[in-house]
Amino acid sequence: MTFRTKLLFISSFMVAGAVALVTGAVSISTRRAFDAIDRERRQALLTQFRDELAARSSEVARRVELAASSRGAQQIAAGAAEYDHAQTEAASAGLDFLDVVEPDLTIISSAHWPARFGYKNDWQIAPDDWHSSDVFLARISTPDGNVMALTAIRPVAGGKALVAGGRRLSPELLKSLGVAPGMRALLWLPPGEVIGAEGPVTDPQKLASLIQDVRTTNREATGAVQWTSDRSSSEAFLALPITRAGTLAGVLLAGTSLSTQLGLERSILRTGLVVGASGIVIGVLLGWWTTERITRPVERLAAGARAVAGGDLSARVEVLSRDEIGDLANAFNRMTEQLLEQRDRAIQAERVAAWRELARRLAHELKNPLFPLQITIENLQRSRESAEFDEVFRESTTTLLAELGNLKTIIGRFSDFAKMPAPQFETVDINEIVRSVMKLNFQVERPNAKPVLELASDGTRIQADPDQLRRALGNLVLNALDAMPEGGTLLVRTAPHDSGVRLAVSDSGQGLTEEECQRLFTPYYTTKQHGTGLGLAIVQSVVSDHNGKISVSSGSGRGTTFTIDLPASQPDPLAPRGETA
Amino acid sequence: MRRTALRWIAAGNAILALAAALEAARRPRYGGELRVEIRAAIASLDPGAVSEDPVALGAQRQWMPLVFETLVQLDDHGRPQPWLATSWTHDTARKTWVFQVRKNVKLHDGSTWSPAGGSITIPDDRAIEQILRELAGARSAIVVKAEDGALLGTGPFRVARWDAGKSATLVAHDQYWGGRPFLDSISIQMGRSLADQASDFQIGKADAVEIAARDLRAPKLRGTTIANTLPMDIVALQFDNGRVPAPVRQALALSIDRASIHNVLLQKQGEISGALLPNWLTGYSFLFPAERNLVRAKQLVPAPFSLTFGYDRQDAAIRPIAERIAVNASEAGITLRQGTGAADVRLVRLPVTAGDPWLALQDITALLKVAPVLPAASPYENEKALMESSGVIPLFHLPRGWMLSSKVKNWPRFEDVWLDTGAEP
Repeated sequence: MTFRTKLLFISSFMVAGAVALVTGAVSISTRRAFDAIDRERRQALLTQFRDELAARSSEVARRVELAASSRGAQQIAAGAAEYDHAQTEAASAGLDFLDVVEPDLTIISSAHWPARFGYKNDWQIAPDDWHSSDVFLARISTPDGNVMALTAIRPVAGGKALVAGGRRLSPELLKSLGVAPGMRALLWLPPGEVIGAEGPVTDPQKLASLIQDVRTTNREATGAVQWTSDRSSSEAFLALPITRAGTLAGVLLAGTSLSTQLGLERSILRTGLVVGASGIVIGVLLGWWTTERITRPVERLAAGARAVAGGDLSARVEVLSRDEIGDLANAFNRMTEQLLEQRDRAIQAERVAAWRELARRLAHELKNPLFPLQITIENLQRSRESAEFDEVFRESTTTLLAELGNLKTIIGRFSDFAKMPAPQFETVDINEIVRSVMKLNFQVERPNAKPVLELASDGTRIQADPDQLRRALGNLVLNALDAMPEGGTLLVRTAPHDSGVRLAVSDSGQGLTEEECQRLFTPYYTTKQHGTGLGLAIVQSVVSDHNGKISVSSGSGRGTTFTIDLPASQPDPLAPRGETA
Repeated sequence: MRRTALRWIAAGNAILALAAALEAARRPRYGGELRVEIRAAIASLDPGAVSEDPVALGAQRQWMPLVFETLVQLDDHGRPQPWLATSWTHDTARKTWVFQVRKNVKLHDGSTWSPAGGSITIPDDRAIEQILRELAGARSAIVVKAEDGALLGTGPFRVARWDAGKSATLVAHDQYWGGRPFLDSISIQMGRSLADQASDFQIGKADAVEIAARDLRAPKLRGTTIANTLPMDIVALQFDNGRVPAPVRQALALSIDRASIHNVLLQKQGEISGALLPNWLTGYSFLFPAERNLVRAKQLVPAPFSLTFGYDRQDAAIRPIAERIAVNASEAGITLRQGTGAADVRLVRLPVTAGDPWLALQDITALLKVAPVLPAASPYENEKALMESSGVIPLFHLPRGWMLSSKVKNWPRFEDVWLDTGAEP
């Protein structure tokens, strides 16, 4: 990943993170604000409910007293009325439920279930409640099931009977609370009915756990219910116990629809996403612009460094600023200037050294034939007066010619090295070259040398100059044969390698030391008594011109192996080569 | 002294005149219209028509004899008595019976009813008691079809106006062989609820109205004349035998607290019974158990069971009984709930239309659409078979009560009823 990409990522993440933080903070504060408002509204609802319940309780007490004091109730208690006369009394008193019962709770007349006369009332209340003056919540059995009612009990006919009357806790009670928009009040009544202002609540099981919490702890509890698969149907509830004499008589559930809150949160989130996305886009653009400004000088420096690494010491970097990057560019330019100067000096020194080495070698090479020449000429001068002059003259001239031939050979070799031409590439089969070189070198009988060829069957065709390649391979073969004066095995192998060919020439001679291996390709360095030190230099020059690579591996007593890796194809000579700053 | 004697004579005369006036008021008087309201909607008085509505059938059997008469009638003890037939004899093989008919019997169009030869021959080799019982039944009433298609009878009243199911006017048959009835006419308003009837009675729009058994006590306490007549009603549960297992039927019957219903809801009117026909008619109703046995009921239905329950919610007498039965049944683990469509069990009224067990059972079998009674079998055998085949479990016998205005006299024999116009309404 490039420096620019990293910078882009960092800037984008920072923008997106900032937006996410702001969005989250706004959402949380919004939720808290809603919760605070809800709490206040629920408390107000609870107060309202309690007030309403108290008002209705008073009304029920008044109506039951009215019924108990009526003539009809007296008649029922005295057994002088029809079994269903309680219906008349209930209607007169405006009560939903009315039972005239004997002191043992046996029903004499029931308004809401006339057919239950003679049965004992099974209201789920404590026995002492029958004589209480309070209004309480009781479960009333009716033909249609059990319902909860605000109930009061009053004696009739001097206590011979009791009148128990009540009014149903109907949805109308909840409707009268006048709850705020988005809120509603529900009432859970034992054993499991949940009513709202519109009637029984469908799917009351969803409130079961919340109600169970209140029933278990007898304290208020909160929770949320999602009525449908749509999240906007969610409703937050505050469940408050309604107790009487320490016993749970019901649970008031103050519910607040979360649709508004969720809608607002969704809106905030949506806005956050839009802002975040916009921020990311803007961040990317700004980051791109910023990183472009920051990384462009760095990239130029990198390109300059690459050019220097490629050998172009003239590479320079434009200084565009006066900051740290500008200082770095200046330092780079100074460095390349110094490198260039050092290289020139080194080249100069190398040239001098090369000339000196050339002169030394030349002097050495020329000095050898010159001494016999001098001796021969001196012998010839001394024998001018002798009778054996003719014979001496013939021998001397023969020697002179031989030594002059040596001189000519030496000069020719130097000339060849100096005249190394540019390679002419064509497609050649390296195996053919190997075979021709081996054939040439083994025309002369070499009884102790055993040639071995291990040539690849395929992938040996490359672009190369066949003459130069023959010359290089010939030098290696000659070196190998020279390294085995006592005889041995000369192994030549070809094999496909990477996208080219590997050529290896191995001998089974004494091998080279590590120092010899390091200096082997230095021009004029030779390990042979009569070598010029140009053979391997020529080989290296040929391999280099073919964009190949030569290496040597050897060890004392293990022989020596020269390995040449040559590419299958050569670059287009017209194509630009290397990079420039 | 003479003045004093005259005064005493005058006072004596006045007392005698008052006594004579009182005596005259007690004597039957001719004239007047008896206004009657009934709950039933009678489609026809034709003896051959058997209504499927128990209430209508009961009413038809009550009013039909005023228009159409039978050859014999059963007395209060169920014994056949001559009516349109004055005597009967059989041939030597006892395979044919010849009934001598009453002379000078006039049909409602004024013509004389005179069967050919002055007698009616009935080939029947059964016992004469069975034949006479059948002849006393409503279905054997003498009906003559006039040329215009009208049905003519010989009864004390003739049909002057008939608006089927709504109202009718019966006019006194002047040439009735038993003597003209006292009433000039009887107007019958049909399809009136008990509440409407009571209201009309209170404001003097009706002279005789029906009253539910449970309401009989209060008017009696107020001094209103109350009368019970045949037909009476059997209140019974009728099960759909195909859908309700026998143990459940039995358990439900055992769970019902008939005593409470009789004491409270029926105000001790009528009788608790496990038999279809009342004991006074058969003498064997005690053979059918009617006691509550909740323990046994719970044993019969160990798991909760639910049945759909049907009854006429408009019937003010039936509805509270049905509600009480539902409460009782719940104690035995049987839930009775009102449902739509055919109910598993229904609370029904069945009329006892005749003072003879066979005749009464005959109408009941017709209503329940089960196999007719077997004349050869005893009423007990017939009744038991009928109850088993029809899935009927009787609960109570209820009288059909009437509230009569004080001017109605000699109720319930309509040919003898007369109106005391001097009496307080």
